[in-house]
Amino acid sequence: MLGLPLAFSAPLILTALVVLPALYYLLRLTPPRPREVSFPPLRLILDLQAREETPARTPWWLMLLRLILAALIIFAMAGPIWNPLPTSEGGRGPLLVLLDDGWPAAPTWTQRVAAASERMAAANRDGRPAALVPMSDGAREIAALDTTRANERLRTLKPAPFSPDRMQVLPAVQAFLAKNPQAEIVWIADGLSRGQADAFAQGLAKAAGTTRVQLVKEDSLPLAVTATENAAGGLEAQIVRADARSASAGLVRAYDKKGLAMGEARFDFGAALETKAQFDLPIELRNEIARVEISGEHSAGAVSLLDERWKRRRVGLAAGSSSDVAQPLLSPLYYLRRALQPFSEVREATAGRGDPILSLLEDRVSVMVLADIGVVSGKAHDELLRFINDGGVLLRFAGTRLAGSTDDLVPVRLRRGGRVLGGALSWDQPKQLASFPPESPFAGLVPPEEVTVTRQVLAEPDANLPNRTWAQLADGTPLVTAERRGKGLIVLVHVTADTTWSNLPLSGLFVDILRRVVALSGQVSEAAGDAGPVARAETLAPARTLNGFGVLGAQPLTAKPIPSGFNGSPSAEFPPGFYGPAEAQVAINTLSPGEKLEPAAYDPQFTRESLMRAEPIDLRAALVVCAFLALLVDALASLWLAGGFDRMRARNLRGRAAALVLAAVLGATLLGVDRAQAQAPGAAQSSALATRLAYVVTGDAKADEASRLGLVSLSRALANRTALTPGDPAGVDPARDELAFFPLIYWPIVASRPQPAPDAVTRIAAFMKQGGTIIFDTRDALTALPGGPASPEAQWLRVLLAGVDVPELEPIPRNHVVTKTFYLLDNFVGRTTVGQTWIEALPPDSADQANRPARAGDSVSPIIITSNDLAGAWAADSNGNAIYPLTPGGARQRELALRAGVNLVMYTLTGNYKADQVHVRDLLERLGH
Amino acid sequence: MVDVRLLDKKEATEQALHPLESLSLARRLPGLIVSAKEVAATVMHGVHGRRRAGAGETFWQFRPFVYGESTSRIDWRRSARDDRIYVREREWEAAHTVWIWCDRSASMGYVSSLALQPKIDRGLVLGLALSDLLVRGGERVGVLGLTRAFATRDIVERLSERMIEEASRPGHVAAELPPADPLAPRTQAVVIGDFLSDPDDIARTLHGMASRGARGHLVMIADPVEETFPFTGHTEFRDVDSSARLRVGEAQSFRDDYMTRLAQHRDRIREIAGSRGWSFTVHRTDRPASEALLALRMQLEAGLGG
Repeated sequence: MLGLPLAFSAPLILTALVVLPALYYLLRLTPPRPREVSFPPLRLILDLQAREETPARTPWWLMLLRLILAALIIFAMAGPIWNPLPTSEGGRGPLLVLLDDGWPAAPTWTQRVAAASERMAAANRDGRPAALVPMSDGAREIAALDTTRANERLRTLKPAPFSPDRMQVLPAVQAFLAKNPQAEIVWIADGLSRGQADAFAQGLAKAAGTTRVQLVKEDSLPLAVTATENAAGGLEAQIVRADARSASAGLVRAYDKKGLAMGEARFDFGAALETKAQFDLPIELRNEIARVEISGEHSAGAVSLLDERWKRRRVGLAAGSSSDVAQPLLSPLYYLRRALQPFSEVREATAGRGDPILSLLEDRVSVMVLADIGVVSGKAHDELLRFINDGGVLLRFAGTRLAGSTDDLVPVRLRRGGRVLGGALSWDQPKQLASFPPESPFAGLVPPEEVTVTRQVLAEPDANLPNRTWAQLADGTPLVTAERRGKGLIVLVHVTADTTWSNLPLSGLFVDILRRVVALSGQVSEAAGDAGPVARAETLAPARTLNGFGVLGAQPLTAKPIPSGFNGSPSAEFPPGFYGPAEAQVAINTLSPGEKLEPAAYDPQFTRESLMRAEPIDLRAALVVCAFLALLVDALASLWLAGGFDRMRARNLRGRAAALVLAAVLGATLLGVDRAQAQAPGAAQSSALATRLAYVVTGDAKADEASRLGLVSLSRALANRTALTPGDPAGVDPARDELAFFPLIYWPIVASRPQPAPDAVTRIAAFMKQGGTIIFDTRDALTALPGGPASPEAQWLRVLLAGVDVPELEPIPRNHVVTKTFYLLDNFVGRTTVGQTWIEALPPDSADQANRPARAGDSVSPIIITSNDLAGAWAADSNGNAIYPLTPGGARQRELALRAGVNLVMYTLTGNYKADQVHVRDLLERLGH
Repeated sequence: MVDVRLLDKKEATEQALHPLESLSLARRLPGLIVSAKEVAATVMHGVHGRRRAGAGETFWQFRPFVYGESTSRIDWRRSARDDRIYVREREWEAAHTVWIWCDRSASMGYVSSLALQPKIDRGLVLGLALSDLLVRGGERVGVLGLTRAFATRDIVERLSERMIEEASRPGHVAAELPPADPLAPRTQAVVIGDFLSDPDDIARTLHGMASRGARGHLVMIADPVEETFPFTGHTEFRDVDSSARLRVGEAQSFRDDYMTRLAQHRDRIREIAGSRGWSFTVHRTDRPASEALLALRMQLEAGLGG
């Protein structure tokens, strides 16, 4: 709506906005209440006629506020939704979903799948079939499926690690559209022109005819790594983006073969479309890097694989001629150095380190370049031979010295002297290079025409000579010859490394040749033996390939071995990845060096939608809240206009108090919810599952221990003697714990402890109201004087019970049911026997109850007060030995105390049940005596 | 905007319909007593000057004994130093009586943000301070219609006790004007209030009081708001004593009328007072109480004849 992602679920209600002007007039007419002012001298002016009775108009801002308030309510009722779900647009035919599934789609693949499935769900609601066409499908015929199957298909799709050619799909799409002219077309595109997106878009627009194509596209296009180069300064990754809206900076990470992170580098495009990230790592670590990827991109294009060719070799240079610092251009080493430096690390023998070749070999070079050194002899020769046999590459350049005499470290036998072409004494023209034979490592390089050779050393014709020739002149004389020696390789270039014999060192070919030769230094060990030319496998089987997300894994079924020297772009048959045996893998990358990403030019007729669609948000609640706040502001403003604040200030104390109370109530409600949820159910649960006795933890360690031991002992007695097997006694805090699970709570009074909090008292009262029984034990039978002042414990108890609805109490009458619930008891003794035990007074005897042996009320007494220290008498250790001494003492008293406890527990559990039947016989007998 | 308010019913003293409500007066009075004494002390030391140093009120002079006098008046100690016989003369100590009356009606319980105190507080402070001052000066002080005139050192407490007692009497409604009973000649009356009653009522009361020649002083307590009328805009004025209300659209347009009316009212009262030789001063509650007390004292001194 209005270009905003806003929709209304009940747009008709918006027509109510027309009443706003009416409201405006109404509001203008009713002014706010006047300020009210007390004014004692009023009677002086009471008779004055008010001259300006026109009431003040409602201030414009208040009116605006009220109009906004009304508008808010109207908008809220219209059910506004931000980012509404797309409604299926009109198509009556099947839904055609074209899904770009090349690697550029991989970073946002989930959103793409979601977008596709959303649209298919929308089509499903209309009962339309859907056809899902991934671009990698090729020319397969398109059939509309029901959406469930299309959805299944969608779930199995994964992005391809290459950019599929969309034009292959176009005929099928055209055919489908010809068959279903009313189809709704949705193209979930990756936004790049790779894979002929532009041509496909044109074709699609033509095929669609009048139907509008919905183009779902992501705004920010993916990044890609086009090339990596192991340069002199460090490993450089070339990163490109399609347009300036893509991410402009980020991280590139390098991993070794095992997937361990080797390093990371930052890149920043600035305003450009390509940039470089450089890993500053030592050369040994750089050579370990097998994979470079843009962090967070997750696509095959953001991954660059590195094989042996990227390894930076250490090349040793040695020349026969003494180096002339004054004329560097005449030194062969100068050309070699300049040519080798971009892709390898060049070492030169420094003067004063003895034999240059030996010192270079000590530096562990991979390639040894000898420029115009005729004879290597002695220890250097032996070491060099061993170096070659161990897999080193020896590259020799000819020169006058070599032409004069050679040692055995050359691939071919050489003629003395060589030949001169196009010189003053020769009829020949300087010779050009012939194209490289296909089996040569230089195959694929194009010899430039301007490269000519004026002088060279000649190889003796030999049966092996053609096999050993890597490059030759136009007349067939070899220019570069090579021979395997051990695991290594000897390469001889039949011209000098400077420009005296040819202009080859001035051409780019020189660099390429050197690069290839240096690259060979990693692979030489692969082909064992010296079977003539460098034996290279014809094809390389895929080892591990990248999937669309840029993860290395097993190759797909469609993958085929690449021919050696494969130079094409990856496809379904040749997915990017590592090919070949493990020790000499060849990396095929998704993008080739120098490639650029270009945004696709879609048909302007397409309706565009963003892939990154936010979740729909129901704005109703927010609007209602806003309206409520506006209402509050309005109320406050009206109050202020009427001078209400002044009156309020007069009572600010009370007002503040009221506000505080309100805030406290609100806070308490909120907190209360939390606390209710936070209450740990563990202890309560176990209390609920088993009947347990409980005692109140007073905080006095001695009393608490006595209570606990006493109740443990009583529980044991109950389990032994009665049908009740109580659980372990629980210590409770009435302020904190839920009391409802306990039938009986024993509360020893400790006068020195503070009174419980008022809310704890209310909980106690509630517990007693709900049928629980509390035994208060003042334990002061010996200290309290009968009829004298109340003992501290008794006073404490009085204070406590002041907030509790305590029924009328009486000393336990002899015929009270509590004396007969299990044992027949006369009184309730504890550690002392003289204390009185109080219980809820029974209702007065009715006539028919008068002669009954046991009387009971309708319910269990909620409160029993004793002073005999019951728990102290019950308490026993684990062996059943009493812990506390009794007064006057004796096992009988302890037994009676336990019986009293058993009776009390039975009373709380059975109530007045025993008043009816049990013991009737005994009672009758006893009464009879 | 000026902020005005009436004292809360519990705060104000005038509507002591319930015993509990009078407690609020009791609650406020100790503070007022203290401030009254402070105000009285500043005035006493400021102007009074103790011209008669020493215990002047007991001893005046020795004069030679005149035959025919009672011998019991001879001061033997003085006479023993001399050949002559002396009589100790005391200062003539016939005390004047000053009647004080403070308006405690509803309209006095009014305070604006410009004022230092509510009007009633200021009135009570003035009255009590004055009574303290006068008693120390040897006069007898009473509250009109409430107490007899007496002179004790705790006059302030005594008077305030009686006021509390009166206010806590059930059904008591504080009057706007003192009882119009004639006062004895040569007594003085100090009437403190806001005098917002009908000028005729005031005249009647005043004439009644002065009918036997008593002189007096009217002190009109006014809140600054009552003098400046700083209200603007749409305002509804409410009377304090009655239920009268006045709603005006533009309060500022009433200012001039009000000022004129107020000036007329005051002129009228001044005229009434002047006709009986009474003084009339206006005291604003944004001025210190000692200022009014000083003026009052000066006038009383003049009235008492030195």
